Amino acid sequence: MLAKKDLKKVNNFLWEIQKSFRNDMKVPARIYVSEKIIEQIFRDKSLSQLVNVTTLPGIVKYALAMPDMHEGYGFPIGGVAATKIPEGVISPGGIGFDQNCGVRLLRSQFQEKEVKPYLDKIATEMKKEIPSGLGEGRVIKLSISQINEILEGGVPYLVKKGYGVEQDIENCEEKGKMEKADSSFVSEKAKNRGRNQVGTLGSGNHFLEIQKVEQIFDEKIAQTFELFEDQVVVMIHTGSRGLGHQNCTDYLRITMNAIGKYGIKLPDRELVAVPFNSQEGQRFFKAMSAACNFAWANRHMIAYYTKKAWSQALQKEVNLSLLYDVAHNIAKVEDHLVDNKMEKLLVHRKGATRAFPPEHPDIPQVYKKTGQPVLIPGSMGTASYILSGTSESAEAWHTVCHGAGRTMSRREATRRISGTEVVRKLAEKGIIVKCRSQRGIAEEAPLAYKNIDDVIEVVHNAGLAKKVARLIPLAVIKGE
Amino acid sequence: MPGHHSPKYKILEHTADLKIKAFGKEKPELFRNAMLGMQQALRPKIKDEKAETKIRIESENIESLLFDFLSEINYLNETNFEIYHEIVFNEFSETKIEAEIFGKKVKRFGLQIKGVTFHDLSIKKEKDNLWEATILFDI
Repeated sequence: MLAKKDLKKVNNFLWEIQKSFRNDMKVPARIYVSEKIIEQIFRDKSLSQLVNVTTLPGIVKYALAMPDMHEGYGFPIGGVAATKIPEGVISPGGIGFDQNCGVRLLRSQFQEKEVKPYLDKIATEMKKEIPSGLGEGRVIKLSISQINEILEGGVPYLVKKGYGVEQDIENCEEKGKMEKADSSFVSEKAKNRGRNQVGTLGSGNHFLEIQKVEQIFDEKIAQTFELFEDQVVVMIHTGSRGLGHQNCTDYLRITMNAIGKYGIKLPDRELVAVPFNSQEGQRFFKAMSAACNFAWANRHMIAYYTKKAWSQALQKEVNLSLLYDVAHNIAKVEDHLVDNKMEKLLVHRKGATRAFPPEHPDIPQVYKKTGQPVLIPGSMGTASYILSGTSESAEAWHTVCHGAGRTMSRREATRRISGTEVVRKLAEKGIIVKCRSQRGIAEEAPLAYKNIDDVIEVVHNAGLAKKVARLIPLAVIKGE
Repeated sequence: MPGHHSPKYKILEHTADLKIKAFGKEKPELFRNAMLGMQQALRPKIKDEKAETKIRIESENIESLLFDFLSEINYLNETNFEIYHEIVFNEFSETKIEAEIFGKKVKRFGLQIKGVTFHDLSIKKEKDNLWEATILFDI
């Protein structure tokens, strides 16, 4: 276990584990954290996991951890690693099982008071329209060829089919489609798992929330983001469901069998990695890209059914427009400045969100002056944040955190609090909860997470992204 | 008797995921108990309808075999909406399993396992002659 003495303070919001700490480290490890929450990172194995990440062949500059970091498998959650192309590696464990787990935010034109009387009805309709996928509910079983279309076509394919509008493509990271996606490298098993899961929420920490804009920090940017105080918005948090999970499983095995061939030795089997330009590396990247398209399609269809639910509850056509959609479990080829030279890097973000700065070529025209909208959900029932990308985050490969970060195991949470108690506490705050299991609610209790405000303070003060608005929940709809 | 009073499996602590320790006098029993621990974690609502299927797994070593075995069970759980409470091994070696699994149809699951991980995966014989396996699942 590491201790505070092993960390060197770079500034008030950045700490470093030097390369000399362990002799297999190829680069230092850096952690974005404040004095206020630093003690929390020593509670589990996340720092040793971050040190393991520094041993990846071809890793550039440092392994990074975001302030919401906690123990994962292989990489810590909140871990970021950029590897140099072509000699660097790609690691399935650096992305995670839920490929392109992410968040999207829909804006309504309503103020809280206009929606309040209908809130319960809207939440009920949303729960009905968007099943968890783990039991009964709307089930559309797609054919393998339809799955292939989604894997390669992503959001633009669905818009062409009549679901949604052009803006849903424009305001989605990667315009809702990774170009390198190739469905022929995704197994039949993975496709089978996805067949009845498009438009489903899943379990664990995935949720839908109806929220309101409680506070605006930057009026000008908020205006461009079309956000105003008291505005009601919808947040969607889910990923690529069984299809992505199976894809990760498949490629963990493929890369594990290939690793010997490339003479790569790593301290944790779950870190398994192969050269990006190897046959296995390229296949994995194309298969992962396809699963990412599936995840964007999933969130896109959930948004479609959300609009339907709102229209049914309010008995009129409701427009919910897409602010943005971000991935937080992904690896992407990006150009970054390394020692003043532009380099092509493969950036792994596992439980971390891309946050491109103003004028970046890969962000929507409408956000060119403000930087990319960054969506950070809090834990269930607590605040969430909208931020904007900054140029200062270049040293972190333009990356920020992905949430509050767990501090407590699910079992510990269920020992400390019951689902009924969590629902009662949220009700006291005026928050409606629609859930399918009390156990799932207890496991996701706010007490099991870090305080999101403390995490966002680090992000903002470290310059990783700029606070634009704080959102608070009005209704929570949980998967399971 | 070693193992007689010991539990089939234990759920261990982990910040975000599911960690199970399974026990068995022999490796087939160890694999069976690892499967049972995983099945319980899914919190299924069971239907009164029987389910059975055959599995065949080949891997390069015993640890990969456990990973592949549990991954296959997870795949069958999710795609067939079934839960398995019994397994009959027709063949069991360090690198191969052929078995029939028996269980029930499921109305709904309370939890989905995203995948089995190799993180700290271990299979070892303890002092009391009992086999132990530790497996971390991403949930």
